[in-house]
Amino acid sequence: MVRRYLAALVAIALACLVPAVAAALGKPDLITLGTQIAIYAIAAAGLDLLIGYTGLSSFGHAAFFGLGGYTVGIMAFHAAGEKMFGVIPGLTEAWLVWPLAIAVSALAALAIGALSLRTTGVSFIMITLAFAEMFFFLFVSLKTYGGDDGLGFRRRNGIPGISPRDDVAFYYVCLTALVLVLALLHRVVHSRFGRVLQGMRQNPRRMEAIGLATYRYKLTAFTIAGGVAGLAGALHANLLRFVSPDMLHWTMSGDFMIMVVLGGAGTLIGPVIGAAAMVLLQSWLAQWTEHWMIVMGPILVFVVLFARRGILGLFR
Amino acid sequence: MSALLEVRGLMKRFGGLIATNNLDLDVTEGELHALIGPNGAGKSTAIGLISGELKPDAGTIRLAGADITGAPIAARVRLGMTRSFQVTSILPEFTALENVALVEQIRAGHSFRFWREAARDRSLTDPALDMLARMGLAARAEVAARDLAHGEQRQLELAMALMTGAKLLLLDEPMAGLGATESQAMTTILAGLKRHATILLVEHDMDAVFALADRITVLVYGQAIASGPPDAIRADPAVRAAYLGEEA
Ligand SMILES: Nc1ncnc2c1ncn2[C@@H]1O[C@H](COP(=O)(O)OP(=O)(O)OP(=O)(O)O)[C@@H](O)[C@H]1O
Ligand SMILES: [Mg+2]
Repeated sequence: MVRRYLAALVAIALACLVPAVAAALGKPDLITLGTQIAIYAIAAAGLDLLIGYTGLSSFGHAAFFGLGGYTVGIMAFHAAGEKMFGVIPGLTEAWLVWPLAIAVSALAALAIGALSLRTTGVSFIMITLAFAEMFFFLFVSLKTYGGDDGLGFRRRNGIPGISPRDDVAFYYVCLTALVLVLALLHRVVHSRFGRVLQGMRQNPRRMEAIGLATYRYKLTAFTIAGGVAGLAGALHANLLRFVSPDMLHWTMSGDFMIMVVLGGAGTLIGPVIGAAAMVLLQSWLAQWTEHWMIVMGPILVFVVLFARRGILGLFR
Repeated sequence: MSALLEVRGLMKRFGGLIATNNLDLDVTEGELHALIGPNGAGKSTAIGLISGELKPDAGTIRLAGADITGAPIAARVRLGMTRSFQVTSILPEFTALENVALVEQIRAGHSFRFWREAARDRSLTDPALDMLARMGLAARAEVAARDLAHGEQRQLELAMALMTGAKLLLLDEPMAGLGATESQAMTTILAGLKRHATILLVEHDMDAVFALADRITVLVYGQAIASGPPDAIRADPAVRAAYLGEEA
C-alpha cells in the first residue's frame, strides 16, 4: 500500500522533470510528446473503467474524445466570429470551455450508452463503433466547421496566470489533469460503485441473481468514461489548436483500446504505460519507416499473447 | 393456507421443444420442497422462470400473494427470493469475503456511492464475516474465490444467496460435482437452513432429497407428474416407472 503511493509519487516527480530534460537535451519535441502521452493516458484510463473494470469493450471511445475537442474548436470559432445560430456566444476561458466539453461528451455517452448497453458482446462492440462512425461523418459533413479539413483556432483556452503560448506550462496543466483523473478513478474503482462494476465483469449473471439492476450502473460507468474522454479531447484540441474528424475516426478508438490492453487493463496505471508506449514507439518507429504499423503489430500480438495483464503484467 | 410461491400453468418453449409444460407448483412457507426429474426434464428452466431470468410464454408466478410474472430479477430479490446455479457461479477474482460483502452491499441499497473505500466499510464486512462463519468458511475469508476447493465454492454460493436476506431460496443442484463427504456436509448445512428459509431444491442426489424434503414434485418432460410427501412419491407407480425405476 505505502509502496504504491511512493511509486506514484516517484512517477509524478519524474514526469515533472520532462521539461528540464528536454531543455538539457535541446529537444523541445519531448515536451509535446509528454503532453500527448498525458492526454491519451487520460482518455485511456477512462476507457479502462469500461474495458478493465466493467468488462465492456467499447469500440467508439473516439466519439467522446472528438466531441470534447470539437466543443473547444467550435467555441473558439464562435468567439472569433459570429454567434452560434446568431445567439450563443463563443467561449475561450478554460474554466468554462473544459467543463462544457466534459458535459457534452458525457451527455453523448449517456445517450449512446442508453441504446448500446441493451446489447452485449460483439453486438455491443459493433453498435458503439457504429455510433462513433455516425459522429465522424457528422463532422465531416459540417462544412461550417471545416468539414474534412478540420478547424483551427489561434489561441489556447485562457487560464489565469498562464500564458497560452507557454508549451511547458501547458504540459504541466495536462499532467495535473492526468493526476487528478487518476486519483478520482482510483477512488471510484475502490468504492461501492467500483465493486459493482468489477462484479459485473467477473460474472454478470450472478450479479443479477443477487439483485443488482445492472443496466444503470453500466450506463453510469459509460457516462463517466465519456466525460473523461471529453476532457482529454478538449486538452488535445488545445495542444494542437486544431480539431478534425480524425479525432473521431475508428482507428482512434482502436488506439485507445490498444493503449488499455497494451499497458494492462483493470489497473489504472496500465493505460498510462500503454499510452506512453504507444506514443513513444510510434514516434520512434516513424523515424525509420512510414510503415511503422508493420513493427507495431507484432509487438502488440506479443504483449497480448505473453502478458495477460499487458506490459504491467510483465513486471509482476 | 396460501403458498409462499404459487406457480400456475407455466409454459416455456425453446423452438419446438416444450421445456416447461403447464406447470403448477406450490411451495409453502417453511418447507423444503424438492424438484426432481431426469436430465433435461426442465428443472433448471423452471428455476430460471421463477427467478425471472427467463420469460414464460404463459402462466403466472406469485410470491407471497403478489404477481411477479413479469417482474425484473432485482424486484424479485427485493421481495425475498434468490437463486443459486447448477454450475458454480461466483466472482472468481474477489475473495470469499468480498463476494459476500458485495451481496450485503446490494441488499443494503443502491451502489451509487463513489468515494468511500468499500473494503474498509465495516457495515459491509462485519455481516459478511458472520455469514462466512455460519457456512464454515471463516478461515477462508481472504482467499480468492477461484482458489477455494470446489466444495467451499458451493458453500460460498449458498452464503451469497443467504446474504440477500431471501425468505425463499431456489437452489439448483447445490451438490453437483461434490464428493460423498462434501455432499454429506452440504446436506447438514441445508438441514440447518430449513429453520431459517423456505427452499425449493433441485437435486439429483436422492439420499439428500429424501433426507431433507418435506414435499417432492417430480418433473418429466416439463410436466409435473406427481407431487406429495416423500413416502407417497417413493410409492407412486408413475414416478417409479418414469424416474426412480431407472435408478433401481
Ligand atoms: N436456452 C435454451 N435453449 C434451447 N433449449 C434449452 C435451453 N435451455 C434448456 N433447453 C432445453 O430444455 C430442456 C430442459 O432443460 P433444463 O436445463 O431445464 O433441464 P434440467 O431438468 O435442469 O436437466 P439437468 O438435470 O441435466 O440439469 C432440455 O432439453 C434442454 O436441452
Ligand atoms: Mg438443470
